[in-house]
Amino acid sequence: MNYIRFIQDNIPLILEYTKAHFSLVLWAVLISLVLWVPVGVLITRSEKWANRVLGIANTIFCIPSLSLFAVMVTIPFLGLGRRSALVALVLYAMMPLVRNVYQGVKVVDKSVIEAARGMGMNYWRILWEIQLPLATPVIFAGFRITVVMTTGIAAIATYIGERNLGRLISEGLTRFNIEMIVDGALLIAFIAIALDTMLGALEKKIVPRGLRVHRGH
Amino acid sequence: MIELREVTKVYKGQTVPAVDRLSLKIPEGETCVFVGPSGCGKSTTLRMINRMIEPTSGTILINNKDIRESDPDRLRMGIGYVIQQIGLLPHRTVAENIAIVPRLYGWPKEKIRKRVDELLELIGLDPETTRDKYPSQLSGGQMQRVGVARAMAVDPPIMLMDEPFGAVDPIARNYLQDEFLRLQREMRKTICFVTHDINEAIKMGDRIAIFNKGRLVQYGTPHEILTRPANEFVSDFIGYDRVVKKLGLYRVADLAGPAGCVAREGELPEIGRLMREKESDVAFLVDAHGRPCGFLTTEDIGGMGDEISPQSLMQKALGRRGAFAQREMVLRDALSLMLEYDTEYLGVLNGGDLAGVITLSAIRKHSCRKEGE
Ligand SMILES: Nc1ncnc2c1ncn2[C@@H]1O[C@H](COP(=O)(O)OP(=O)(O)O)[C@@H](O)[C@H]1O
Ligand SMILES: [Mg+2]
Repeated sequence: MNYIRFIQDNIPLILEYTKAHFSLVLWAVLISLVLWVPVGVLITRSEKWANRVLGIANTIFCIPSLSLFAVMVTIPFLGLGRRSALVALVLYAMMPLVRNVYQGVKVVDKSVIEAARGMGMNYWRILWEIQLPLATPVIFAGFRITVVMTTGIAAIATYIGERNLGRLISEGLTRFNIEMIVDGALLIAFIAIALDTMLGALEKKIVPRGLRVHRGH
Repeated sequence: MIELREVTKVYKGQTVPAVDRLSLKIPEGETCVFVGPSGCGKSTTLRMINRMIEPTSGTILINNKDIRESDPDRLRMGIGYVIQQIGLLPHRTVAENIAIVPRLYGWPKEKIRKRVDELLELIGLDPETTRDKYPSQLSGGQMQRVGVARAMAVDPPIMLMDEPFGAVDPIARNYLQDEFLRLQREMRKTICFVTHDINEAIKMGDRIAIFNKGRLVQYGTPHEILTRPANEFVSDFIGYDRVVKKLGLYRVADLAGPAGCVAREGELPEIGRLMREKESDVAFLVDAHGRPCGFLTTEDIGGMGDEISPQSLMQKALGRRGAFAQREMVLRDALSLMLEYDTEYLGVLNGGDLAGVITLSAIRKHSCRKEGE
């Protein structure tokens, strides 16, 4: 098999690319979480702001990734390289993360909040002990989409100087090397699936037990 | 004591007040029921008492202290709150749900654990099997009890209950009402209870506040409201059966008289003489163990009575085996029994023993007399 031979012949290079790919995804996802989860929570307090922020997120999400990366490069402080790649990926993650956090917190049963407030729980307690735990399934769904999506889009960052698995595809295209293209695509897909599976397992641990049990069990 | 002074609430963007210049005093240890058609401002009023909503104007005092002086969360921790949708935390067990307010107060774990079990017992749930269940594993009635237990966790002197039994089926509701009345007789908490069901209001309330379109139309004891409805709205709201409803407020024991004449089977042939001797219109028949099994009236024995065979008298008496009422039975049910057995008398029982007699004319007199009072 030529596909396997290609990998065997290029192990050091592929490892380097994989490492770079991973670290870009990891940083992008981390920054996105730190940034977008609080934003998602914050906008639950004002319908007006929620509409604005979600509007912006949707708009960004509609920009083709190649052009978003290209636009980043033109911004002085960012330039060619990792910073631009990170900013673009974090902006993409805004839509799935902010929207899911917002919806997850928003759809928590009003009567539960009403009762909690009536018992004297303050805003933060209600957020921390009720809204966020109850929102975990929805938030986690958004988180998994973000990770898979970021893994895929990170490949495009190769065009602005990232040396990652995307490079296999872009170089494969210029040299018309089928093995290179297919292997690059498969590796990226494999990483995405692996990450998603791991998160799925983690999700089972994090979602509160009471949300999983049902009458009769 | 809870006191509302000229309380008005106009919601943002609305011109018509949801609650309009409401003044009301709820004495300590009493249950006050807010009743009225949907949208008349009952919930709004209730939620102003624990500052879930701030009044547009007016003052609310709890034990003569303006509630605006208290921190809202602190205030709410000290007031039990039960809503129709219950609002149990679905990701917390029954025990954790009940423990919410004790935890806010920072009670030690052991004390909380004890209190949770005590409360579960109190509301008739088995702590062993219930405490670690999640709300989704409970029936509607059980959830409602847990909701009540949760509100009583720190034994607050005041409870606010917004249609607490509105979402359960009628049988469970009746049962929950009885249970709650039993608890309240011992707890003597100050309770504001919202309902749109006038029957529930009459049953649960020491006092009833009838609302219409944000205004308090009448405030008084169930007896006062049923006897003297303030206006057409109130009498319409109560319905045409208000006299019958009022009979629901009193018990057979309130009107029972002495049994007068009691006879055994062997005394049947001379029953007429016995009744005349005792000057009694009704003679109760008891079996060998002294348990009442029926009764005869002067009508049955046809004035003289002596010509009628003891067998047919016996049959007549036994036909009224079911025409007995426990002392605690409400007059309304007693009246229904009388109609059912086509009799003007019912035997009154205290457990299994004969305790007296209640007559239709006594009930009739009672209704008229109270009416004129
Ligand atoms: N949060 C709110 N915002 C605006 N209007 C409200 C709000 N809550 C209640 N209302 C209005 O106030 C009136 C009284 O409502 P409510 O107190 O809930 O009535 P009830 O409990 O007697 O059915 C209704 O007309 C209702 O539409
Ligand atoms: Mg209401």
